[in-house]
Amino acid sequence: MVEKNNNERQRVKLVPEFSINDHQDVLVEILRRLDGPSLCSAACVCRLWSAVARNDSIWEELCFRQVSPRPSLPLRSVVSALGGYKRLYFLCIRPVLARLPKIIWSHDQLQLSLSLYCVHYYERLYVGAWHEDAPPSAPPSSLMFLRKPVNVV
Amino acid sequence: MAEVALKLEQLETMMGNVQEDGLAHLATDTVHYNPAELYSWLDNMLTELNPPAASGSKVNNSFFTGGGEYDLKAIPGSAICRRSNQFPVDSSNRVVGTTVTTTTASESTRPLILVDSQDNGVRLVHALMACAEAVQSSNLTLAEALVKQIGFLAVSQAGAMRKVATYFAEALARRIYRLSPPQTQIDHSLSDTLQMHFYMHFYETCPYLKFAHFTANQAILEAFEGKKRVHVIDFSMNQGLQWPALMQALALREGGPPSFRLTGIGPPAADNSDHLHEVGCKLAQLAEAIHVEFEYRGFVANSLADLDASMLELRPSETEAVAVNSVFELHKLLGRPGGIEKVFGVVKQIKPVIFTVVEQESNHNGPVFLDRFTESLHYYSTLFDSLEGAPSSQDKVMSEVYLGKQICNLVACEGPDRVERHETLSQWSNRFGSSGFVPAHLGSNAFKQASTLLALFNRGEGYRVEENNGCLMLSWHTRPLITTSAWKLSAVH
Repeated sequence: MVEKNNNERQRVKLVPEFSINDHQDVLVEILRRLDGPSLCSAACVCRLWSAVARNDSIWEELCFRQVSPRPSLPLRSVVSALGGYKRLYFLCIRPVLARLPKIIWSHDQLQLSLSLYCVHYYERLYVGAWHEDAPPSAPPSSLMFLRKPVNVV
Repeated sequence: MAEVALKLEQLETMMGNVQEDGLAHLATDTVHYNPAELYSWLDNMLTELNPPAASGSKVNNSFFTGGGEYDLKAIPGSAICRRSNQFPVDSSNRVVGTTVTTTTASESTRPLILVDSQDNGVRLVHALMACAEAVQSSNLTLAEALVKQIGFLAVSQAGAMRKVATYFAEALARRIYRLSPPQTQIDHSLSDTLQMHFYMHFYETCPYLKFAHFTANQAILEAFEGKKRVHVIDFSMNQGLQWPALMQALALREGGPPSFRLTGIGPPAADNSDHLHEVGCKLAQLAEAIHVEFEYRGFVANSLADLDASMLELRPSETEAVAVNSVFELHKLLGRPGGIEKVFGVVKQIKPVIFTVVEQESNHNGPVFLDRFTESLHYYSTLFDSLEGAPSSQDKVMSEVYLGKQICNLVACEGPDRVERHETLSQWSNRFGSSGFVPAHLGSNAFKQASTLLALFNRGEGYRVEENNGCLMLSWHTRPLITTSAWKLSAVH
């Protein structure tokens, strides 16, 4: 009797366990379907998930989920050049959604977010020049108006 | 401004009652102060030291009982009545105008409940107007006394009213004592970096510049549809903040980006550095990142009227579509005779597909000083009011200094030094129309983008976009503040 139980136990142990961490492509697919807060929580689970969450295609999905028709391919290269979708989401899209929750994401609103993002990138190009002889305050960001007052220096 | 109107009504009633009692009389024995003393006192005031409480109450007493150093009874009684008629000057959609006109009917029945700060607020506005009138009639002794009054009254106020009054008082003092250096010297007294700081903070704190840039860009984008090579001539280069957004929109348009050429025109830098060149380098970096073919040329010019079409290296219009852009620059030409006509001539030679113009919506160029003063007091009060919602006080201060320079130029300078000669849309329309331009209507895309942008500032409380004959106006409550318009050459040209 005991031998049979041992065999059963051994047989159970031989079945491979499924771990999502071994299938990162599946993990990416799952994360792509999350909303903003959930995705941010997921990125805090462990180092692996944090690394996976840095995958820009996940954030691209989050940015344009509500937009139809889906923006074109050249957009991807432009956004990557300006800093990527994750930064676009945190700097522009999330604050806009927070301030205007009932907004209908049409082409105009998207264009506005991208324009603001682009201006922000351009201002970052000035950061080097600021430090030379600027007053000791932080350089202004054109996106400062999107941040909550408590975050402003 | 409704608050101010209410205070004015109360002042009117108050003065009316005083007159009936026979206490108001013309007094000419105002005390003359040493100009240097007064100016340094004003300087102290401007760095926001609190005055001793005693002088505040002294003002209160002397106003009614007469005598003392601060003799406000020097203000002629009839001047007060004239004030109320002058406030609703031209535009009919201002709150002040509608409230004051009903005062005369209900004056006698209105109960007086005076609170100290309200009292001072009424006196403050009144003192500002009286001082301006004194300056206009060259009654400088009276003006000096009033400027000092304004200083005390201003500090007792809070918020936007105090700041506006302080800037106007300083400008009046400069005018009285002929202390104002010419415009160019004011600009060069600040280092370029500091000026850039003011400009950038103003860009960030309030939506005016963003509104201007985004609406103008939308018009230019639509005019450039289908063109393979485009050229933008910018009369207001500054830091080039308008162009990243346009370049990004061109990069993403259907059919791929055109080849983009930019000619930037700006005033010379104080330290002779080639800051226009630096701006061009930054824009080139951005263009390379987003894969837009980019060419840049920077021009330094003291005035736009110094430009010639031949300098601009124009290419044949079949190969290249040109747009001309001017944000808060055209009004500076109105001080030079023939200036604006010369620039219009150059623009016509350029043959642009579109000429986008953004200007302040107010008439600060009338021939009478007092009218200009009144108009600008209203305008900048509204503007400062709208800044009050800004989250950071440092940004607010920087923006206010930026605007304060305009106030100083407007009030203290004259002749060619006075460059802040703002005019309204209807005045500009006449100028454009008589020079051979026809309006190009800004589309609904521009309107929608502008509305969304404004909704992001302060949750959009107070800011409004209005459409007016194809032009877009940004208003704070009911008062239009800046206007974006687009023009093209009429078929004849």
